[in-house]
Amino acid sequence: MFFNSSRFIKSLSLLLIALLSVAACSRSSAILNNPSTNARRITDDAGREVFLPAKVDRVISLAPNLTEIVFAVGAGHSLVGDTTYCDYPVEAKNIEKVGDTQHPNLERIIALKPQVVLVSTASQLEVFTEQLRSHNIAVFITDPRDLEGVFRSIEQVGNIVGYVEQANALVSSLRARAMAVDSALKQSPRIRTFYQLSAEPLYTAGHDSFVTDLLRRAGADSVTANVPGAWPKYSAEAALAARPDAIILPTGGSMGEGNGTVAKALASSPAAKSGRVYKINDDHLVRPGPRAVDGLEEMARALHPEAFK
Amino acid sequence: MLEARNLTIKYGHRTAVDNVSLSLEPGVLTAVIGPNGAGKSTLLRSLNGSLIPNSGTILLNDKPLGKLSRRTVAKQITVVAQEAELRFPITVFEYVLGGRFVWANSTTWGWESERDLQVAEGVLEETELHELSGRMMNELSGGERQRAVLARALATEAPILLLDEPTANLDLSHQAALLGLVRERCNSRKSSALIITHDINLAAQFADVILLLRAGQVVKAGTTQQVLVPDLLREVFSVDVLVDAHPISGVPRVTPVH
Amino acid sequence: MTSSQQANQNRVTLRRTIITLLVLVAALVIVVGGAALLGSERLPVSNSLCALTTLGTRQCGLTSDHFDILFQIRLPRILLAAAVGGSLATAGASYQALLRNPLAEPYLLGVSNGAAVGTMLALLFFGSLEWSRPLMAFAGALVATLAVYRLARGRVGATPERLILAGVIVTTFLSSIIVFVTTMMDATRIRSFTFWLLGDLSGANTGLLPVPIAVAVVGAIILTLNARSLNLLMLGERDAFDLGVEVGRVRMAVFLIASLLVGSSVAASGSVGYVGLVVPHLTRLSVGSDNRISIPSATLGGALFVIIADTIARTVIAPRELPVGAITALIGAPLFIYLLKRV
Repeated sequence: MFFNSSRFIKSLSLLLIALLSVAACSRSSAILNNPSTNARRITDDAGREVFLPAKVDRVISLAPNLTEIVFAVGAGHSLVGDTTYCDYPVEAKNIEKVGDTQHPNLERIIALKPQVVLVSTASQLEVFTEQLRSHNIAVFITDPRDLEGVFRSIEQVGNIVGYVEQANALVSSLRARAMAVDSALKQSPRIRTFYQLSAEPLYTAGHDSFVTDLLRRAGADSVTANVPGAWPKYSAEAALAARPDAIILPTGGSMGEGNGTVAKALASSPAAKSGRVYKINDDHLVRPGPRAVDGLEEMARALHPEAFK
Repeated sequence: MLEARNLTIKYGHRTAVDNVSLSLEPGVLTAVIGPNGAGKSTLLRSLNGSLIPNSGTILLNDKPLGKLSRRTVAKQITVVAQEAELRFPITVFEYVLGGRFVWANSTTWGWESERDLQVAEGVLEETELHELSGRMMNELSGGERQRAVLARALATEAPILLLDEPTANLDLSHQAALLGLVRERCNSRKSSALIITHDINLAAQFADVILLLRAGQVVKAGTTQQVLVPDLLREVFSVDVLVDAHPISGVPRVTPVH
Repeated sequence: MTSSQQANQNRVTLRRTIITLLVLVAALVIVVGGAALLGSERLPVSNSLCALTTLGTRQCGLTSDHFDILFQIRLPRILLAAAVGGSLATAGASYQALLRNPLAEPYLLGVSNGAAVGTMLALLFFGSLEWSRPLMAFAGALVATLAVYRLARGRVGATPERLILAGVIVTTFLSSIIVFVTTMMDATRIRSFTFWLLGDLSGANTGLLPVPIAVAVVGAIILTLNARSLNLLMLGERDAFDLGVEVGRVRMAVFLIASLLVGSSVAASGSVGYVGLVVPHLTRLSVGSDNRISIPSATLGGALFVIIADTIARTVIAPRELPVGAITALIGAPLFIYLLKRV
């Protein structure tokens, strides 16, 4: 018999062991490399330990809110890439685009040689973490669920790009504005509010949405605050039965002019009947960044005009 | 009466039927014989309007076939061909009732009348399918299904019958019975029939006229004695034959000689 | 009883058909009533029943909110569900008879996606004209149908296998167009993914509602009137031709009417799958393959199926909603597997 099975098995096992060792070596070298060449270790919002060099001046942002934060702390010149949706501030439009939030272009990211990629949700992560890690590119996940979370994101980004003072100053002023709203509304009753993300089909802000926190701080009692999920598709009859006294329509920002009218189910709500339908720039409401406080103020003023005279 | 003049039918460059003329008179049973690829089925298909000839005319009761409505034609001409694959369950009775469609009051709708049911029962008796009429078609044997196809054609009560190898799957007794039925229709109701068959002797037994076809052309048309001649048969089928008279009927009997 | 007497008794008659249809209509009325009582908001049962039976002419002690929920939100949605279900089932039953293929249904044949692309174009270019949607959906459905038929026609004619193959090609091609457009387009101008790919009845527009209902009723009637021709067509186009059926005319009528049915459904609610496949099968198993009874029964059966599926979709995780197509698939797929095993 030519086929000597035991020799075959032996050589196959040797080959497998060899392959595994090479793989293990490269993995461990990747793990070893990071701590030695990267001086800092920061924990991100997903609980991951991210290793970064002492000085970071090449950053890519994969979400509009992160782009706004980077510019707001004064590190706009460190941004070497952002997404097609990143349009604020104006300078963000001139930054090289690496794709959109959901499908970033990996090759282009790698070609730009960033030191860190800022990511807004963990869902984008699985796709490309390993590849970026092998090119010594760190990925930092932010996941702010409320306004305090946004402040933390600003501090984290400031820390990463080395603009800590500016970041702290920004957070202080934003926090002050938020607290001003808070005290202005101390005497005001909460207003039953419906947040209409889109009319047809009817989508609203649920428990896990960042906007729900803003609504609460703006003195609104969001009728969908406890609905599971972030952006649930909502039942028309539940919306009708909720009888909101005010309706928030996010529109006019990057959403364009859509969502300018109240859903049919809400057409005879107290809100619609009394004209308490407020259009707010959607970029101020859905981007967990500095302008979220703008959104908070705009909603608070719309809902409680008497508190801001 | 069905009359075809100078029919030519081509498939691309290939001529399947070449300048064929024939007429089907009331009471006359015509058999069409010839080797495979002689154009027999093509010819038959053109006679009921399913195939449009490249040139030539077909007249049904002196009117051009192309100008008549589908229903008018279907009331006059009926076809018995190889049965298509059945994909939905249907009983024999319902299958045969399908032949009554052409007598419905409207072109698409309607329910079967008493007369429809009677005719269906009648043809089921004639084709000896009465016992099986409650069964599903796909439970029947090949031969039984073939008889059902004939029954359905007979149910249309059309005076002109075109049959394409109707005895292919039938056993001896049913072969004779089927052709006997057709023969009887020709005799008693003055129907006309055109039968394509490979069984020359069966044709000889029942046909008044035989058409001998080869490569789309009519080699000879006439009575059985005129057509079933050894020289002609050898020329057309490329085989030597012995033609003698059937001991009982006297009809020409063809036997191949190897 | 002789075999043929038995066959005679078992065949479909006018009487049997009328009785079957009356039973189905009664079931439909009951299900509509039941579905109207179910939803994310609890409505008082006897008041609601009173209002329903008086067809909304009397308040019956319901608050104006509850009255609005019943007659502005629930009932239009239920009626739309009936129209969509009835249309898709009728179209499916007709395709299956005409194409002699138990697998023929609007989605697999590319017709649903053709209608979806048509509706998309209407939304993009004629956004404000509501009438443009069902019209362009019909056009899209028809173009897809003809494309599939042309593709499938070999020398032997459009065999059922070639039809399914051609249908799958056209469907997947159009699916990718839908995905491409929804990715490129601004989310507020074009409906969401789930609307197109899984169906969504929440947009029941009371104004435009008569359209899908009228289309469903008229379409079902016309196709039922062609039932006897379709019965013969089920035996084969050649056989049907020989027996006097105007094959070309009936085929065109089925294609046109079915496109209309699918177009109006997709324009109103996106692509609701499995209805055109499962309901005609169940119907044929229950009442037989004679189209005179099975087509109108499929219409009513489809209406029942989608009403029930939509009621589940809007109550099971209330106040949130699922797309109705998810439920029809969840029910339809296992049901279809079971049906396949029986045959």
